[in-house]
Amino acid sequence: MTMTSPQVSAADLARTEEYIRRVRERVGTVVVGQDVVVERLLIALFSGGHLLLQGVPGLAKTLLVSTLSKSIDLGFARVQFTIDLLPSDILGSEVLDQRTNEFRVRKGPIFTNLLLADEINRAAPKVQGALLEAMQERKVTIGPETFRLPAPFLVIATQNPVEQAGTFELPEAQLDRFMLVHRLDYPSPAEEREVLRRNAALGIQRQDKGAIVQTEFDVLDSRPVGSVTEIVAAMEAVSSIHVSDTFVDHVVEVVHRTRTHPDVELGCSPRAGISLIKASRARALMHGRSYVVPEDLYALAEDALLHRMRLKYGSIAEGKTGRQVLDEILRSMGGEARA
Amino acid sequence: MSSSFPGFDLSLPRGALPGEDLLRASPSVGMPARWNDVVLPGSELVAVSADRKAPLALRIVATRPHGDGFRYDFEYWGLEPGAHDLRTLLQRRDGSSTADLPELRVEIRSVLVAEGAALPNAPRPAELPQLGGYGALLLAGGIVWVAGLVAILVVGRRRRAAESAGQPRVRSLAERLQPLVERAMRGELSREERAQLELSLVALWRRRLGLEESRPAEVIAQLKRHPEAGPLLVRLEEWLHRPDARGAGEIPALLAPYRELRADELDGPGGAR
Repeated sequence: MTMTSPQVSAADLARTEEYIRRVRERVGTVVVGQDVVVERLLIALFSGGHLLLQGVPGLAKTLLVSTLSKSIDLGFARVQFTIDLLPSDILGSEVLDQRTNEFRVRKGPIFTNLLLADEINRAAPKVQGALLEAMQERKVTIGPETFRLPAPFLVIATQNPVEQAGTFELPEAQLDRFMLVHRLDYPSPAEEREVLRRNAALGIQRQDKGAIVQTEFDVLDSRPVGSVTEIVAAMEAVSSIHVSDTFVDHVVEVVHRTRTHPDVELGCSPRAGISLIKASRARALMHGRSYVVPEDLYALAEDALLHRMRLKYGSIAEGKTGRQVLDEILRSMGGEARA
Repeated sequence: MSSSFPGFDLSLPRGALPGEDLLRASPSVGMPARWNDVVLPGSELVAVSADRKAPLALRIVATRPHGDGFRYDFEYWGLEPGAHDLRTLLQRRDGSSTADLPELRVEIRSVLVAEGAALPNAPRPAELPQLGGYGALLLAGGIVWVAGLVAILVVGRRRRAAESAGQPRVRSLAERLQPLVERAMRGELSREERAQLELSLVALWRRRLGLEESRPAEVIAQLKRHPEAGPLLVRLEEWLHRPDARGAGEIPALLAPYRELRADELDGPGGAR
């Protein structure tokens, strides 16, 4: 069942690699470290999935996405999710034009290429539902009209894992809509030193007769390093990355093991396997390969599978975490088995 | 005189004379009775303060002047059966003697049957219960509990043994890897076996290098940097995952060292557990 697609040529590969290198370089001028997060963002972009970033405040999630959007020349919108947000605040609504006495559609911020849904768990479930539905269907209905969302369309949502008071946790079914959920770590001491050094070097920005202190957002270079054409070329290249039968077997095995592990109440759905293969293809392209290898699976398993697993209550009470269980599953692959 | 309490006939001609021996219709123990319009000579009478042990209790309901004396309404309760004289419960308000009062006799009857009927049954001779049986009871209970526990353990062990007898034996990593290597060298691997071979070799090297506690995502990168494991895994990837399956000819030579894998080779530090 090898996934056969038109083979990506070496020249295409080289062009896409060069494009990715330029994007990474541009992001690196503003954001220190976070190479893995940039990789995950590009994986989501190139493979048409959506990404949820989980991390404590202050890890430059918003800055990262803003920088990326400016680097790749895509429309960008940011919505800060709050408890009083309404679906129409995101999707848009009909407004009465008093000059013509007719209703006119006013499109919401979702009509963009790259939507940053900041702190998605702070909005009420009906708002989350409206966004997640649009994410899946890639179209929005306002009044009698249905509109297609622009292409490419990527939602990058953020979620703060602490301060859960007053939030609405995304249920598993809605988390499943995110192709990847990446958990951000704190920067290393060396990276943190560089962050502080760069921040200290920021001056002030004169404005009118006064001045404001510059932030990292003010020093973003707004000139893109590539065009949408290059993104489309990268997306095409991803879809032509070769997936062997052996790799599919590996994916099926790991997904199956999440369903049979004694600590897991709810294992991964087939969508998890699909996401894992899609993301692996994009990662292979970013690492200069025209085929996926087990390294892609191991690197992406946590982001693609962990949010689709639910542990048993007893296991949680024993102090086990989903990450520990998934690591156990990955370690057990290829080990002892029943004859 | 008339009774205020139905059921008791206490009728007496109004203005009964002092000194008349008046036998009252007898109420039962504890029941109140009234004796009204009793004319008694001398100064005013009051009831003696109640005594808990007195056989009779008396209350003067009303006192009215009557010639040289007074006319009284009495209410009394008998607490012991028999004849009683109300005079014992009266005294003058001015403290003078009550010796001039006529006898005020009342009869209190008992509703209990005559003597002997309410006696308890005579005790029947019986054997004394065995003293000190609690220890024996505890011992018997303990024996039953232990027997139950042993029965549960034996049944559980037999059930587990039956279940494990029905299950396939767990094959060690070495036992799984050797036939896969043999078949790979002969070019007879099926699709599923190829996947198993690759994962088993990763597991083998993870154990050999003691990387079992490392995060799986990091292990592959570390193995690829290893001088012996790295080339093996890269060649396997090229054979199994490249679209043109490059390097199939090198596989037998690469896998040759894994033909004679001993099960105990994976034991020891970082080895199989």
